[in-house]
Amino acid sequence: MKSSPLTTQEFDICVVGSGAGGGPIAYELAKAGYRVAVIEKGGWFDENDFKKDEMLPRRKIFKSKVQQEPHIIEEPDGEGGWDSHSTGQFWGGNIVGGASNFMSGYFHRLKPEDFRLLSEFGPIEGANITDWPISYEDLEPYYTKVEQVVGVSGKVVKHPFLEPRSTSDFPFPPTAEHPIASWFDRAASELGYHPFPMARAVLSRPLNDRKSCEYSGYCGSYGCHSGAKGSSRAALLKQAVETGNVKLITYAKAYHINTNHAGNATSIDYFDRNGSSHRIKAKIFSIACYSIESSRLLLSSTGPKHPDGIGNRYQQIGKNLHCCAGGTGHGIFDLTRLTPSEAESLKVRGPFFNRALQDWYIIDDKKFFGKRVKGGTIDFVFDPPAPTAEVNSLKWDDDDNLLWGSKFKQKLKSHFTQSRDFKFEVFCDWLPTDNCNVSLSANTNDRWGTPAAKVKVGFHPHDLKVAKYIVSKGVEVMKKMGAQEYYGNAFTAPTSNLIAGGLRFGHNPQDSALDADCRVHGTENLFVSDGSFMPNGGSVTPTWTIYANAFRIADKIKQQIASLK
Amino acid sequence: MSKVYTFKSREKKGSNKPEFEGNLAQGLNRRAFIRSGSQLSLLAMLAACKPKREDTAKPEKSTHKSEQPDQSLFDGKEARVIKNVQQHMFPDDGNGPDAEAINAFGYLEFAMTDRQNIEDGDPEFLKKGIGWLQDLSISSQGEDYLKLAEPEQVALLKKISASSAGENWLALIIYYLAEALMLDPVYGGNPEQVGWRWLEHQAGFPRPVEGKTYRDFD
Repeated sequence: MKSSPLTTQEFDICVVGSGAGGGPIAYELAKAGYRVAVIEKGGWFDENDFKKDEMLPRRKIFKSKVQQEPHIIEEPDGEGGWDSHSTGQFWGGNIVGGASNFMSGYFHRLKPEDFRLLSEFGPIEGANITDWPISYEDLEPYYTKVEQVVGVSGKVVKHPFLEPRSTSDFPFPPTAEHPIASWFDRAASELGYHPFPMARAVLSRPLNDRKSCEYSGYCGSYGCHSGAKGSSRAALLKQAVETGNVKLITYAKAYHINTNHAGNATSIDYFDRNGSSHRIKAKIFSIACYSIESSRLLLSSTGPKHPDGIGNRYQQIGKNLHCCAGGTGHGIFDLTRLTPSEAESLKVRGPFFNRALQDWYIIDDKKFFGKRVKGGTIDFVFDPPAPTAEVNSLKWDDDDNLLWGSKFKQKLKSHFTQSRDFKFEVFCDWLPTDNCNVSLSANTNDRWGTPAAKVKVGFHPHDLKVAKYIVSKGVEVMKKMGAQEYYGNAFTAPTSNLIAGGLRFGHNPQDSALDADCRVHGTENLFVSDGSFMPNGGSVTPTWTIYANAFRIADKIKQQIASLK
Repeated sequence: MSKVYTFKSREKKGSNKPEFEGNLAQGLNRRAFIRSGSQLSLLAMLAACKPKREDTAKPEKSTHKSEQPDQSLFDGKEARVIKNVQQHMFPDDGNGPDAEAINAFGYLEFAMTDRQNIEDGDPEFLKKGIGWLQDLSISSQGEDYLKLAEPEQVALLKKISASSAGENWLALIIYYLAEALMLDPVYGGNPEQVGWRWLEHQAGFPRPVEGKTYRDFD
């Protein structure tokens, strides 16, 4: 669906999406003196709007709603078939800064081995594993840049899988730690493991006009009131706009990239909040709408050279999507069995757990796997507080009968005041397969009448085997820490907030969507700068890598646009 | 459908990675009872075995509009029934605040003007449930529910909780009791943080204020 544009504006660069993939492009190009348009579907909200109100995440405020913008998800039904349904769960953030406003900011770099998964570990039947067209060394300077510009706090502690660094330590010291961290260090060390403090995209000291963390205890899922969280909005876009070179167009839904007979992008059309169409012309375009939506935009943008969508000559657009495989687990401490001072220390809310284990990032357990395999990371974290949801989850007894009256109240009192629940999250590779991809829905449209994305989220059985192995290690640590109740689950459901791939980069257009600079194959001036480029996600949250790669692409764009002058 | 591989079967509401809690704790369950409630007659409700919650689907759409109503959703008698049931669900038993102390009814009236709650069919289902309870009271006890002695009221509530629709109706009342207990006082429940103080919950800061509540952004 296309409409005649009501207005047309011209810029040097046009960026679609203002999250972790779009922010670095706008920041770098604006600082270099280029005129940049940023098209963002959501509005511009800031620290004054981010109250610690459970209803904001509960009602998905600042996120797209399923009624207006559905995704069609196809999941394995557990019986060999596929279950298809409409959902709004796969939207991260409909707001300037995107989902980075609501991240927890658990930051890990990838390891050198993640960049050569195929040559390091060999093929796995049914998985589309490949090596990256760049190495860890190519990206390392940009990881360092993110530490300094976005602001990453932490402390380098040697462990068997510590990645090479060009600086000796983080530019910001670690954020304040919860007393449980020392319990964890002791238990993990006694088990022979190598605990280390997890880096956070949260400022422990002020940076520019951003304050350091206020330790409200409401971090992940909630917007940051102090500006400490390294969202693209707080860390990059604010400064980019202050250069005077950026026009940030809010409530603007990009729906079509126009291309010429040479196959290059000439303009992007978007709808404003009233549904009127507008056009942005530019020399270079960078797309960063989150993996699913970036694939959708390219597939929707047919043109004379791109009859099946931009860059889709070899049907690679939307392919090899991946989530984070892994699982979660808990250790529950009965405070009545602790000394009063121990109990009080575990009740503290505000400081972070901030611990991780990567002893199994590569697993060399031939009895279990038969060969050396890629493993994963365990992050030990706090759940974002959701007390109302917690109360509601307690209204059922062990036999799934409704609990009410005094028994219900006793259960609430005991749960909230006499126990503490500490959590771990396991991150493993979600291997890319032919069963995980994005296409356009044939019969579901969004509120603007454009086809919704259909997302198939099949997993590879190998992922589950690795996840189970590592989850059991997390449970072991919780037991050693002294938790009275400890358990973990490995799962295969998609992590809707941690999706990457779909437009993986590579040298060969027949098995990749982007070139090594993240330029769409078959175009000269259309880049993709969100997490879509990743052939595999690494066994960590991908946000730091997305930021780093976007800074790398910004350098490529600067070189290219300078050559056009 | 088996997606969860459990070392010990128990999970709860999650964070930045999905967790699995069966369908008992949150929205799916809530939707489930709305549908069963809207489709079953009183007699069917009483006769029914408990259906599996995952067998149910989307709620009936409400015909209500999302604007703030100019009058209460509940008439005087309906309000007294709801308040009475809330009190049974969350009694004054010496252990923390009761339903009245957390302003459960006042909060419920506010919640029933919420766009999503209306779309979920909650106001309609709550009112239907009052009618069912009254009808059952008269057919089985020969008396208006509000005129029953307290033990008889409890027995009747236990009876309906044994049916899927009845349990769903009570679960919905508790769902909003939970919000009245633990949401910020700016929404009308939890006056003077009585719920937070009882459960020693430490609120985040800054807290929502008039003009910056979720409804101002929705």
